Amino acid sequence: MSDTTAPASITPVVVRLKLSLLRNGLRQSGGRRAAYVASAVVALLFAALQLLGLITLRGDAHAVSVVVLLVAVLGLGWAVMPLFFPSGDETLDPTRLVMLPLRPQPLVRALLAASLVGIGPVFTLVLLVGSVIAVAHGAAAYVTAVVSVALALLICVALARAVATANIRLLTSRRGRDLAVLSGLVIAVGVQLVNFGAQRLGTSGLSQLDPAAQVLRWVPPASAVGAVDSVSKGSYGLAATQLVLSVCALGGLLLLWSRSLTKLMTAPDGSTLQSAEPAAKDKASTGGLARLLPSGRTGTVMERSLRYVWRDPKTKAAWVTSLAIGLIVPVFNALQGTGSVYFACFAAGMLGIQMYNQFGQDTSAFWMVAMTISTTRDAYVELRARALALLVITLPYAALVTVLTTALLGDWSRLPEVLGLSFALLGAMLATGAWTSARFPYSIPQGTHKNVAPGQAGLAWISIFGGMISAALLCSPVIALTIWSNVSADGDQWSWVLLPAGAGYGAALTYAGLRLAAPGTARRLPEILAAVSKG
Amino acid sequence: MTSAVSVRGLWKRFGQQVAVAGIDLELPAGKFIGLVGPNGAGKTTTLSMVTGLLRPDQGSVSVVGHDVWADPVAVKARIGVLPEGLRLFERLSGRELLGYSGRLRGLPGAEVDKRATQLLDVLDLAGAQHKLVVDYSTGMRKKIGLAAALLHNPEVLFLDEPFEGVDPVSAQTIRGVLERYTASGATVVFSSHVMELVESLCDWVAVMAAGRIRAQGTLAEVRGESPTLQQAFLELVGAGARDHGADLDWLGGGTR
Repeated sequence: MSDTTAPASITPVVVRLKLSLLRNGLRQSGGRRAAYVASAVVALLFAALQLLGLITLRGDAHAVSVVVLLVAVLGLGWAVMPLFFPSGDETLDPTRLVMLPLRPQPLVRALLAASLVGIGPVFTLVLLVGSVIAVAHGAAAYVTAVVSVALALLICVALARAVATANIRLLTSRRGRDLAVLSGLVIAVGVQLVNFGAQRLGTSGLSQLDPAAQVLRWVPPASAVGAVDSVSKGSYGLAATQLVLSVCALGGLLLLWSRSLTKLMTAPDGSTLQSAEPAAKDKASTGGLARLLPSGRTGTVMERSLRYVWRDPKTKAAWVTSLAIGLIVPVFNALQGTGSVYFACFAAGMLGIQMYNQFGQDTSAFWMVAMTISTTRDAYVELRARALALLVITLPYAALVTVLTTALLGDWSRLPEVLGLSFALLGAMLATGAWTSARFPYSIPQGTHKNVAPGQAGLAWISIFGGMISAALLCSPVIALTIWSNVSADGDQWSWVLLPAGAGYGAALTYAGLRLAAPGTARRLPEILAAVSKG
Repeated sequence: MTSAVSVRGLWKRFGQQVAVAGIDLELPAGKFIGLVGPNGAGKTTTLSMVTGLLRPDQGSVSVVGHDVWADPVAVKARIGVLPEGLRLFERLSGRELLGYSGRLRGLPGAEVDKRATQLLDVLDLAGAQHKLVVDYSTGMRKKIGLAAALLHNPEVLFLDEPFEGVDPVSAQTIRGVLERYTASGATVVFSSHVMELVESLCDWVAVMAAGRIRAQGTLAEVRGESPTLQQAFLELVGAGARDHGADLDWLGGGTR
């Protein structure tokens, strides 16, 4: 080294820091250690199984599609991981190193090396090795494979670091914590999609993947693995392009990362400054919403309910789950040809659940509502407004899902009766939801993944399952009518009647449910407040 | 003298524990009234029952001549509340929260917006009015809660620990607003365990300890012979005479 004043490389120091952090994290509690070891074992077993699977895939005509897709999914995983699990890695937060006199270049090198330590990188490495084994044929391909695996792994890690650093302000803020509440949901919906994808592959073969792989083999980090396949097939020009693309991507990511690191470590921390800009935008966008809503208590309550669907992480997670599952179940079943148009009622059923425990969703802020309810009429208008806010979303959504499912199955003659059934079910759910909200309120703890406070689980079960069973029973006249129209000889001519009948019946049920729930709500305000303030 | 709040034989038990043990209170109208007592004295429980947020086991409460439980329509329109330990609708911005609260109370929209603008200005929240309440500091939360409680111009205002955790600047702002409000003939009832504050603000005091009212009356009456309210309070709750001279005699002095 020519420059004698240059300090020793900080890379080993940071890597040792990462190892210490891992070790100390485990030392905190036995439960945490057990959880870590268990998850490590599961991850490595899973990786080993994948490795075996990939090796057996070697020689298969569609192997390249599978591995390209796999590596693309891995890359995506690394990109979104820091957004959902921000607290997972303390070295991901470079603001902790801000007091140290470090230059960006060595710091980037050191942090990159530290990122390679852990279960995640090992898991990725095993999968990448399996992937190149599946597609590499010939000496040239083996050499390329070594380069490719290193490149792909570095791209994954650099991607995670770049995303985390660019969003560090977000991740350490309240908004970041809100986002983390949604992570479970993304995983749940993701599992549904993967499950569906796997079923499709099972029925129609791996060739389904080819079109996607055609595109993805140009996208880093999948392009690095694509290069190995290209070499195996003798297309050296193609391979060189794919490798160059991968190298450029890695370089770009490192540059981006180093830039945001420099910015982060030289600019002042703005987390304590007041910022009014984001909310000001909200105001402009919701101003229009308010004008469309009715005036008085109805519009006021609807506006707040609809704002909460978007702004409150717990409410948002519940809604997105309902919307996603309500769509996935009927539509995916229809796509697979195993569905029935009646599955479309799932959308109405899932969305109707949102009417349950209305006051629990308010948390202890329910006192603000309680202070303004003095009569049964007030309580009725409050509940009705909440039901209306729900209908603004659920009614068009349930209709859309029903039409979509019918279109996919081509069973248009059944559309009126399924729509009628959906609306009746929605009405029954709103009615029972309003009643159980007043009768069996329970608290939803904030800031955790829990949805029920300790000691109230029984209450929640009574409320939701009792309510759902009652809703199904309440719908039985419409169900009976539907069965009759399908069984009886001239029933088909009358099946259209089920649409207005179902819709009217649903509306009547909702009205009756709200009317029945209102006196209880007005009478039991202190008890409801006490129930929803627990935990 | 007319009563703003009249409480008769009020009881509340939580399981085995008696939180409020049969209290009687006559709070005069148009005064700045302090409800003082140590932690766990039953102040919050009392205020919750008086405002209709908690159902008493026994006893009656009337506010400006209307029974809280028999005539909620008349009472709820005439009182403003800032409870302690309960949330606000935190995912609304400060301005949206005021708009929501005022409209729920049936005020016309234009009037709500006008009053909200003035309250936000006076309480020094205009700069943060579009920020979500979840991002507010403790002092800002107390101030927006106070604004929501004042929006419908109540006759009686109940504030549970309005100065707890509030910085001196915000405290002074809150004080100014409350003084202006009582000067117009309205009644403020607030709980606190900071005696200096109560002494400087209130003209009428009720002292509570272990679920009972130990004294009530004008500041001078409650203070009696004692030089400060702090002294009188310690004597009333039975903590003044305690002599710790014999205990901890090893403490200090440098020797082991």
